[in-house]
Amino acid sequence: MPFLTAHILRLPSFRAAVCRRLGMALCLLGGLAPVRAAGPSEAEGWQLLSGYLFRDAYDTFTLAPGDSRTRALGLAASRLNHPPVTASKVAEVEAQLRALIAADGTDDTAMYARLLLARVLHLHHPAPLAGAEAAYREVIKANPAHPVAQIAAGKLALLLLYQRPDLTVPQRLAAAAELEAVAGADLLPEAACAYYRALAGGALFYEVCDDRVLGWLRRADAIGTHDVQLVSNVRIQLAEVARALGRREEAIAYYRHFLATILPTDNRFLTARERMEALETAAR
Amino acid sequence: MKRPKLLTLLAIALLTGTFLYSAVRLFRARTAALVDPEVEVIRLAHWQLEPGVREAIDAIIADYQQLHPKVRVEQMDIPGRAWKQWLRTQLVGGNPPDLIELAAYENPDDMLARYFTPLTGYLEEKNPYNVGEPDLRDGSWRQSYAAELVPAPDGLGHYYSANLLEYYGAPSTLVTVRVFYNRNLIKAALGEDRPPRTFDEFVDLCEALQHYAQTSGNPIKPLGGSVFNITKITDALFSTVTQRLAIDTDFSRNLELSVHEIHVQYLRQRWSLRSPAIRASLQTVEAFGRYLSPGWVQLGREDGMLQFLQGRAAMLATGTWDAGGILMQADFPIGAFKMPSFRRDDPRFGPSTLGEPSEAATFAAMPFGLTRASRHPERAIDFLRFLTSRKSNTKFVAISKWLPVIKGVPVPPEAVPFQPVVKGYIGGLNVRVLLGASSDAFLQNLHLLSGTAANADAFIDRYESACNEKMPVEMARITRVNLTTLRQRDSVLAGLYHQHAGDALARTKFDRLVASQLDSEAQRLQTLRTLEDHPPR
Repeated sequence: MPFLTAHILRLPSFRAAVCRRLGMALCLLGGLAPVRAAGPSEAEGWQLLSGYLFRDAYDTFTLAPGDSRTRALGLAASRLNHPPVTASKVAEVEAQLRALIAADGTDDTAMYARLLLARVLHLHHPAPLAGAEAAYREVIKANPAHPVAQIAAGKLALLLLYQRPDLTVPQRLAAAAELEAVAGADLLPEAACAYYRALAGGALFYEVCDDRVLGWLRRADAIGTHDVQLVSNVRIQLAEVARALGRREEAIAYYRHFLATILPTDNRFLTARERMEALETAAR
Repeated sequence: MKRPKLLTLLAIALLTGTFLYSAVRLFRARTAALVDPEVEVIRLAHWQLEPGVREAIDAIIADYQQLHPKVRVEQMDIPGRAWKQWLRTQLVGGNPPDLIELAAYENPDDMLARYFTPLTGYLEEKNPYNVGEPDLRDGSWRQSYAAELVPAPDGLGHYYSANLLEYYGAPSTLVTVRVFYNRNLIKAALGEDRPPRTFDEFVDLCEALQHYAQTSGNPIKPLGGSVFNITKITDALFSTVTQRLAIDTDFSRNLELSVHEIHVQYLRQRWSLRSPAIRASLQTVEAFGRYLSPGWVQLGREDGMLQFLQGRAAMLATGTWDAGGILMQADFPIGAFKMPSFRRDDPRFGPSTLGEPSEAATFAAMPFGLTRASRHPERAIDFLRFLTSRKSNTKFVAISKWLPVIKGVPVPPEAVPFQPVVKGYIGGLNVRVLLGASSDAFLQNLHLLSGTAANADAFIDRYESACNEKMPVEMARITRVNLTTLRQRDSVLAGLYHQHAGDALARTKFDRLVASQLDSEAQRLQTLRTLEDHPPR
């Protein structure tokens, strides 16, 4: 029996269980103050939020000490997707964001609150879109050199490309392209690359294939992206658009570049090579 | 009066016996850990019950335990039907196995984020178990994979999460689809053991097998299987006959026709089920549909396998994950071939064909993820590295007859026909996948393409009305799903932004997710624009 007892005491699970219980007892004895002092931090809240754990993030921000503006923003950002997402929660978030902006419109928290507010108006509110468009423009106006403004400009470009009901296709493309200075900034190069891809993608969606498309794709290619599939996509699009525009030599060069850098998991090698060879044959 | 008492005693004895049996089993399973607290126990769970896989993993575990006597690795094979419930219970219960097989459709982003550890950092380190391999030892674990684990497009590769931008799994194999055949029956019907090289030869083979069945009195069917198996054949055929149409329909000009583009262009009436290439693709099924087993639409996947293994069907199309089971259980010689494609000069099916489709985009499969609750995460990672080392992957494929996934691992002779055919063209437009959640409409009408009265036009008449009605519904459904993801990403981005507070954001995860969100949002808005500009017919 003593041997068995000694053995059980050696078990890690037993030791852990005993330690847990002792810890809890000490906490209770010491009152709640030590627990509060070791409570969750805002940093943990942001960490949880970045991992799609909205409920946990909300609970963490609720328990986090202090009354900072970033904590208030964290509460709003996590509340926005706190399951189940309801209209009343979204309305609550909207009011919190407006209050944050009204209290001090100059700091970084206000910038992010403006962006979130624009997103609430765009993605959570039914039409009309005028409110969302104005909110995006407000973010850009507040500080066009801020990365958050760059995000807003990209979103606004999409709204203009596909949602504004009063624009013709040429007007859509022109309006979205006018945001280039902010949306194409190098603060967020991946986002800039996506913006140029979005411009080219918008034009091709509307069956517009002209020199501007080639220019936007060139910009996207020059900026580059971590996503190796997208890099490949832009290169073959350059070749295909140049081909459609009758720029044979340019198209052949783009096909070559695509083929030279193709991923091993890409199905397009033979098809692209044949299309390139057809152009080469025609050139002879 | 004595009888009920006896029965009660018997019941008690049975209950006691069952309890004792379970207790002994449980005791034996846990004894090593209990008697020696120094033993690290790693549990590994998967649903690959196909013969050969468990044996292969067992052999690798034995090697590992020999190398690390203070470690015990337990393999847990859970039936696929119980997997979903089992997985949820284990994860929520807080005591899941250390390593769990992942699949994008079983592990949504919130589950990965909450219960699994990202492996991105680990995969960029070296795999110490490749130290004896001169060509692998200086590269990272990820680079030891044949295709270096290129992140697959969303939903295709189960080892990478496109939303979380992290690797979550380390895979062990590749899978392709092939037509398995009974070599004895083919030889009896044709006079020689030769798989078909063209679609016409495939149809001729079906005819020869039917003729053999009638003349020999051996009631075999040329093609066995269920909807699961037959759609493996139709997918291959549809994908070939419509390749040129795919290029014409691909408005983004990237030589890759997405389901999104298929939907948009259908509503714009740039293609229809009556387009010559689509009609021809359906006629391919009409051509061999008469050789299908009666009632095949009602058969289950297991029934199809049984038909084939019992020698009642000469051919069966399935994934190479079934290869080990077929090779071990069939008492006749097995052959396998890739469904043949069409020549460009084929008068019926050639006009929109480019040639055999490429299988380069075959992404690594059977990835194991590390659970956050693992008591020995570093040990579990160590075992995962061992499992996917060149030496172990060689052993894995030699026993399971599956395809290797690590560079330089020889393909076992039995698995040579399963290797992806990389040299080929882009895939075409597959009308089976038009309706997503409403894909039943395709299956419900598939019987019109089989039997002696098979008729592609009759199928088109029925399926077209379903497409006209359900495609806008499906497109709207997709936009709703995407809206949820976009809304969630807004909060996630706020989290990432504040984690980087004060630092440069260029090329960070935040920047990458902003870009990825812009891409998905653009696609969603294109769908909404199309639905508004082209209301249902």
